[in-house]
Amino acid sequence: MKRRALWSTALIAPLALYGCGSAAAPESSGEGGGALVVWDWKSGDATAESYIEQAKADFAERHPDVEVEFVAQPFDQYYNLLGTAIQSGEGPDVMLFNGGGQLRDRTDALLPLEDYLAEDMERLAGWEAFSDGGHVYAAPVTLQGHPLYYNKALYEEAGLDPEAPAATWEAFLADCAQLEEATGADCFAMGNKEGYGIQFFLSGLGPGVLTSAEYDAWIAGDRDWTSPGVKRIFELWVEAEQAGLNNDGVNSTAMFNDEFALFDGGEAAHVIGLMSDVGHWKEFGEFLDPADVGVMPAPLVNPDAVPFLPYDGGIGYGVAEWTEDPELAADLVRSLTSTAALEAFYADAGAIASDTTIDASGAGPAAAAIVAAIPTGRPALHVALSAETLELMGRLSQQLLSGSATVDDALAQLAESDGAA
Amino acid sequence: MPTGSPPIPAGPATAGPAGDLAPAAARRAARGPRRGSNERFPRAERLAPYLLVLPAVLVIAVFRLYPLALGVNFSFTGDGDRNGQPVGWDNYTALFADPLFTASMRNVGLLVLLLPVAVAIPGLLATFVYLRVPGHRVYRSVYFFPAVLSPVIIGAIFNLLLSFDGPVNALLGAVGIGPVDWLGDPGIAMFAVVGVHIWATFGMALVVFLAGFATLDASLIDAARVDGASLPKVVRHVIVPGLSRTIQFVVVTTMIGMLTSMFGLLYVMTGGGPEGSTYLPEYYIWFQQGQMGRPALASAASTVLFGVMLVVGMAQIAVLRRAGRED
Repeated sequence: MKRRALWSTALIAPLALYGCGSAAAPESSGEGGGALVVWDWKSGDATAESYIEQAKADFAERHPDVEVEFVAQPFDQYYNLLGTAIQSGEGPDVMLFNGGGQLRDRTDALLPLEDYLAEDMERLAGWEAFSDGGHVYAAPVTLQGHPLYYNKALYEEAGLDPEAPAATWEAFLADCAQLEEATGADCFAMGNKEGYGIQFFLSGLGPGVLTSAEYDAWIAGDRDWTSPGVKRIFELWVEAEQAGLNNDGVNSTAMFNDEFALFDGGEAAHVIGLMSDVGHWKEFGEFLDPADVGVMPAPLVNPDAVPFLPYDGGIGYGVAEWTEDPELAADLVRSLTSTAALEAFYADAGAIASDTTIDASGAGPAAAAIVAAIPTGRPALHVALSAETLELMGRLSQQLLSGSATVDDALAQLAESDGAA
Repeated sequence: MPTGSPPIPAGPATAGPAGDLAPAAARRAARGPRRGSNERFPRAERLAPYLLVLPAVLVIAVFRLYPLALGVNFSFTGDGDRNGQPVGWDNYTALFADPLFTASMRNVGLLVLLLPVAVAIPGLLATFVYLRVPGHRVYRSVYFFPAVLSPVIIGAIFNLLLSFDGPVNALLGAVGIGPVDWLGDPGIAMFAVVGVHIWATFGMALVVFLAGFATLDASLIDAARVDGASLPKVVRHVIVPGLSRTIQFVVVTTMIGMLTSMFGLLYVMTGGGPEGSTYLPEYYIWFQQGQMGRPALASAASTVLFGVMLVVGMAQIAVLRRAGRED
């Protein structure tokens, strides 16, 4: 019996010993002196090859003895892997982020960069999505936004003027009815399986609903979820579904890439897409004629609203707070956002780069329209929300479509989640 | 599950868990004198058994119990701003207040309720194969085929089949039934995923059933047939009782499979949606850890899942042990 007790003690001792204190004390550590490790999900793409080459060359010129290693992670696992690295306080020196919630949730692990990047502030656009609490945590590489694309060929087929899309919501609904009757195409291609559809809807159509003051307040963090404007956007989300503007089975249609495939295939006349990466002008232009891909401002629901292009910094490189030589890592970030590198990225990947000095006039009407709208653009509504609120919004938007929640219910829950964040 | 308790010092001959009752009693009676002789053994010889089990115990302690303890401890610390600080039961409170987590636990309950279906399907099909329905050789290999496909491939296939404008709905439309949003309706999606999981995994259970049938006495079935028993009666009164141990084994392994290996299908087919209706604890843990950056909350969820698995595992061991005694 005595021996049995001894054994039990031996087994339980570690349990008891580690029952106190923390298992997650972040430690500082880094890579060896002459090496920097970069994590991203882009450097493995063929279309990003010349971009990475340019950036490496730019960096090697200034720091010839420093070795830079790019580790391309799979995107769907990226934040999982990064979360684990941050938890252990060890990992890459420089890492790629999506702007907005994903970055803001992890600013603890990032180095404020405004002092290192002061010279680039003018040249690059899209800083807001990488800033939090007055600090800049990453430098934008691409701009990401939510233009409302439309299919000019379908407009023509339906007898509408493809160069004069509807400016108001009423006119837009009338156009959609005409489009559906003449071509059989749905008004919107919509995929909300992942809960992303509502994010694009909110950001894409929000500028036509909220007044300038309401919009600014939202972006600044002063969000009134029960205001008539915000409520109107969510009502539109429900009305669009009930009025049959969307394709069938929105909640089981994946945005990536079933929704975009519907637009590509001419089965829907409009889609709220992206500016860079995927689901954008270049991709649509590969299926439709590039000249048939149009970009229109959000139709005005509220006559007091002035529509503009909603966009933010899309992806950007940040520096880990545990890196050994912050200045060196920040220099690498500067190389990754140099004009030559970004020009290569724009040309090969079709991304709208953050560098405002790049000329994009030769890439078709949609890209030209987007670039022309950048100076007057403002941050997108959904990017200002935390990852947690976005997740909840995705779930609630599915409930709104299936009728198992009301707009008021949903907004109350979102206000609570947003207030807690 | 940690089952690394050391052998109880009761002499070199310890009875296995499935040992019969009467011989066990006899052995107990025989232990008395042996224990006496034990004390005359040299010290080294007495320590030898412990030395021999030590590596196994160490492996379990270091690689199982210690990380488990770390995980449990971690679940009492905070996330984000409170990273590393002790927060008491906050994570557990947050967990049970989170409708996603409670939904995932309800889905575990649903899986338990669907278990009989998951066992009956391979059982029934194996019966048909055993009774040599026409083409039974073909079915035997065809049924096993899905078991060799990875969940990701199966998920992708069924994503296409079950999409709103997919072939299944086209077929339903042809016979005049309206389209069903298989993966977009919160009341249906979980059943769709479980259905696919059963389709994907029943081949293994079928093989186990066929092995069980091989031990069945064919003359009993022949006798029942001579006596004029119908097929349902043969199944009910001859086959099921004859296969009781096989059925119990399949129940246990199917339950484990449902609780631990649906992540791939969920990830590919629904991503936890629609409306969070297809979350399982495993998926929730992954989601909170990586997507939401809340590893401590994920640890709390893991601890709860561990508790649930412990209870289910104990119940299963009890069932298996009872099955062993019946023979």
